[in-house]
Order: sequence, then C-alpha cells, then structure tokens
Amino acid sequence: MSASLEIKGLSHRYRKGDEAAVSDLSLDVEPGELVALLGPSGCGKTTALKVISGLLAPTSGDVLVDGASILGVPPEKREAAMVFQKPLLFPNMTVEENVGFGLRMRRVRREDSSRKVEDALRQVRMDGFAERKPGELSGGQQQRVALARALVTEPKLLLLDEPLSSLDANLREEMRELVKRLCREGGYTTVFVTHDQEEAVVLADRIALLFGGELQMHAEPEAFYDHPSSREVARFFGATNFIEGEAKNGSVETPLGRLRLESTAPPGRTTLTIRPEAVRLDESGENSFPAKVSSATYLGTQVHYELDANGVKLRAALPPHIRLEKGDEVIARLPAESLWALG
Amino acid sequence: MGGRLKISLLLAPAVLVIGTLFVGGLYAALVQSLGYFPAIGQTEMSLSAYREVFSSGNFIDSLILTIYIAVASTVISTTLAVLGALALRRSSGTVSAVVFQIPITIPHLVAAVGIALVVSQTGLGARLASAFGLVGEPSDFPALLYDKYSIGIILTYVWKEVPFVALVVLAGLRGVASELEEVAQTLGANAWQRFWHVIFPVIAPGVVAASLVVFAFTFGAFEVPYLLGQDYPTILPVTAYNEYRSIELSDRPAAMAINIIIAVITALFAAAYLRLSRGLGRG
Repeated sequence: MSASLEIKGLSHRYRKGDEAAVSDLSLDVEPGELVALLGPSGCGKTTALKVISGLLAPTSGDVLVDGASILGVPPEKREAAMVFQKPLLFPNMTVEENVGFGLRMRRVRREDSSRKVEDALRQVRMDGFAERKPGELSGGQQQRVALARALVTEPKLLLLDEPLSSLDANLREEMRELVKRLCREGGYTTVFVTHDQEEAVVLADRIALLFGGELQMHAEPEAFYDHPSSREVARFFGATNFIEGEAKNGSVETPLGRLRLESTAPPGRTTLTIRPEAVRLDESGENSFPAKVSSATYLGTQVHYELDANGVKLRAALPPHIRLEKGDEVIARLPAESLWALG
Repeated sequence: MGGRLKISLLLAPAVLVIGTLFVGGLYAALVQSLGYFPAIGQTEMSLSAYREVFSSGNFIDSLILTIYIAVASTVISTTLAVLGALALRRSSGTVSAVVFQIPITIPHLVAAVGIALVVSQTGLGARLASAFGLVGEPSDFPALLYDKYSIGIILTYVWKEVPFVALVVLAGLRGVASELEEVAQTLGANAWQRFWHVIFPVIAPGVVAASLVVFAFTFGAFEVPYLLGQDYPTILPVTAYNEYRSIELSDRPAAMAINIIIAVITALFAAAYLRLSRGLGRG
C-alpha cells in the first residue's frame, strides 16, 4: 500500500519570468516515512506539495512513485490524498458522507465503504458525529473529519498542508499526536508541510528545510540541532551562539582561545555553533574560558544566561538549581562533542 | 441601538420609493381590477373582470405563451451561463469583464433592436447565410422575428440574461468552490463527479436565485415581446397593455386583472423556488 516517493530536480514558476517558487528540489521519501517540508511562509513548500498532488504541473523536474513518473497521471488518479490548512469539508454533506466521498467516487461497494467510514471516524474519535453537518462541528472536529476523509481512501501518498496551523495551541498538540499515531499505524508515506519547526521535529522521521524555494538540508530532526548545514539553518532551529574562527590542525583559533572539536572543521575561516543547553558554566578543563554574566532570565524549568567572553556574546540555558546573577564572573566551557563547524 | 437606527435611516429612502411605487401601484391596480373605477362611475367591487379574463381564450393563449417564453429563456440562459462561468472561471478578470459585463450595460430595448438587425429576414444573418450559400435568397432565411416560437424574443433574453446569471455563478465559483474542488480531486473525483457532487451544490443557491430573477423579469417584461413578438397571441404584459390602451375605459379593470395575475404568478414561482433553493442549500 505505502509507496516510495522521489522528487527529482523539481522547479515551479507560477508565471514566466517570475522567480521560481520551488527550484531544483530533489527529495526522497521512503515507504511509510513521514517527511516534513519545513520553512518560513512563502518558501515554496505548499507549491511543492501541490506539484506532488498534481494540482500544479512542474516547470521542470520529475515526481516518481515507486520508481515510475506520475507527471502524466491526473490528480484524481494519483491516490495522493491531501489535507489542507482549512478543513474544507463539503458543506452539503454529512460527516459520514464527507468521509465516504473518496470511496463513493471510486465506486466502492456500499457495505465495504460504510465499514471503512465507521473505522475511520473511530480512529479520529469522531464516531457519534456521523449524521452531523460540517457547520455543526468545531474547527478541530472538522479537521479530524478532513483527516479521516483522506485516510479512508488508503492513499499511496498522504499530503498534509499545514493541517494543524488553524487550530489553537492545546488542540494542535492533541492533533499532532493523532496525526503521528495514524500515520505510523497506517504506514502512510506522508509529506507534511509546516512552518513550525517544533511541529516538524515532533512529527517527522526526516525534515526537509526549504528557504526561498531551495532545499537547505534534508535529515533527521536531531541533525538540525546538532549538525546544521549553515548559519541560516542553525538560526531557524533556534541556535544563537556563533563563534567566528580560523581552523587549522584539527582545532579552531577563536577570540575565546583555541577550541577543539570532536567533528572535523574544514581548514580556513569558519563559524562554530553550539546549542545553549550544551554550554557549561563553572567548569574548567578543555575549551574553557572566563566569561561575565550580562543577563539572567528565570524561565521556571530553565534559566537563560547571556554571557560576554572577550567580546563574544554567548547564550547558555541551564537547569534552575544553578543560580547566577548578572555581573557574576564564571568559567564557561564548550564541550568538544557539542561544537559544530558550519559549512 | 445606534447601529439599528443608522440601518433604518439608510434604508428609509429605498423603502419609501419601493413602498410608494410598488405597494401603492399594486394596491391601485388591485382595486381597479375589482371594478372600483370612479372615473366611469363604477364604485362597486366585484370579480367580474377576473371572470371575463379567465373565460376568454385570448388570456389562456397569452398565459401559455408567456410561460413558454419565460421558461425557455430562463432554462437556456441559466444553462449557458453555468457552462460559460465554468469555462471562464480560471481566466483573468478582464476576460470575464469583456464577455459578461458589457452586455449587462446594454438596455433591453437596444438589445432587441440589435437582435432584430441580425436575425430578421432582411438582416445581417440572412444576408451572410445567403452569401455563403446556406439559403438561396435572404428571404428564405427562417423567420425568427414575430414568429410563433418567439425565437427573437428568447434570443434577446438569452443574450441579455446569460451574462447576469454567469456573473453570479462566477462569484460563487471563485469562492470556496475551487478549493473544495481541489480536495475532491485529490480524493479521486473526476471532472463530472467534481461538478455534480461538489461544485453544483455550492453554486446552486446562486443559480436558483439568479434564474428566479430572470424568470420573474422575462415573465413580466413588456418591451422586448412588444417589439419582436407576433400579433396573436401576445404575452400577458402586452395583452394587459393593449387592454389598457383600449379606448373603452371599461376594459381597464380587465387590464388591471391581468397585471394582478402576473404579479400573483410571479410571486408563487418565487415562493416555490425559494423553498426549493433552501432545500438545496441544506442538501
């Protein structure tokens, strides 16, 4: 049932002469994998999704399902069910009729289809709402029905276009878990478009990060924190510590002194990054240096510190049992295994 | 409270005009149709004008013709308008403006004359058909004016009303319908299924409302059938006009009775249609 998806050199321009909304995007999604297309608004992620669904034709490039190009296949034959930002339930149909829509269009036998619809509604915990009209449901309920309507067709590809972004925070978290569970259980090959990096990290097996229509990085969620490919990528994932330096002989000469990395840094000018959570305070040893606390912000489960070390501004996040005050002099340490040189 | 007062004040001029002209006119017509006509010394109310109207074969022929023209114009206009709107919904605003908005600005009277110039046996169409050998002489061209099928009248109405209905439908199509259609498409619905199950239910209330307006208008309109219609039978408004113009003032109640009948039939159709459209909206 679940298929592999491969995107090769995909570009799309809305009009001739326009800047490409997506340019030269290559991506692979394994059967049953959930890939998040992540990026700020206007980065081309929805365009890419619409090209996969067939609602848009690419300017160049190819989309392959199980190794065969589907560009010649009309959207209705692609078995690529899409869930949009808005629930977009058919207003003239009941919940049950909405969910059964895809099956009716494929002329699935009534007994089979009503059993599947019932199952799908139970999966999204909307059994008991079968006879309701969309107008009688809340936004979250509508979106759950929309999800059931896509899943019930047992699509080869499940395409989700920010389906949670119109929901409020509590509901979003709950729906996130639901989407994750359903995709895992059903083994759907899923492409999930989102602008929320937390959502991408929680949901995805792998994340494809797009800026300005171009793929920046395609990797497991942890890699975006530990080994970002560029300063922009690191920044998008909340990194704030950037230390300029010159790499030679396996270590990097910086204003903080000579720092050793466990990973390799290409020789020449480079930028080092480290997560605020990885910065150690009041620890001497390798990669340590004196620093001054320039601000401390108590956040309940964490305290955020801003440090000044020889003109370099660093941010550290520590558990609240270590309490430092503004103006304190400390020894800061950047563990070699947590330092990463940006390309 | 201030809002309600403001709305009342804003509506007042329109309500005043409609109230005076429409309700007042209707009231005057009603009492005259019942025979209250002091100008000729009649003040006793009776239904004799209605009896007279209903018992004349003239009225029945007229009624049938009127219903035929109104139904034909409405059905043809609505069908063409829906097809046209579907064809043009993805085009730019300029295209639909040219195609649909220009005919709306042309008065019915001018449209009727235009259609006459094109389709009469001495008109452009007949001469072109003759020039291309489709008919022998221009006069062999089929009679489309003053004919018993009222082709010229229906053509004029279609030309004028298609754009009106199409613009209403287009507004519906450009809203949520296109997004719903995309959903339906990714769920496996082919073009016909998308139209029938998704788009049509969304645009149906608009289609019903617009076609109701077309029906009411073509049922009660006077000038196009007066110009392009045959001598007998004439449609109800023309019949009423002829009775009204009669030198016998005693024909006046009959003229008013016909007008009242037109108003009642239109109102009945409107009520029936609105009920139907509410049903469609609920699905």
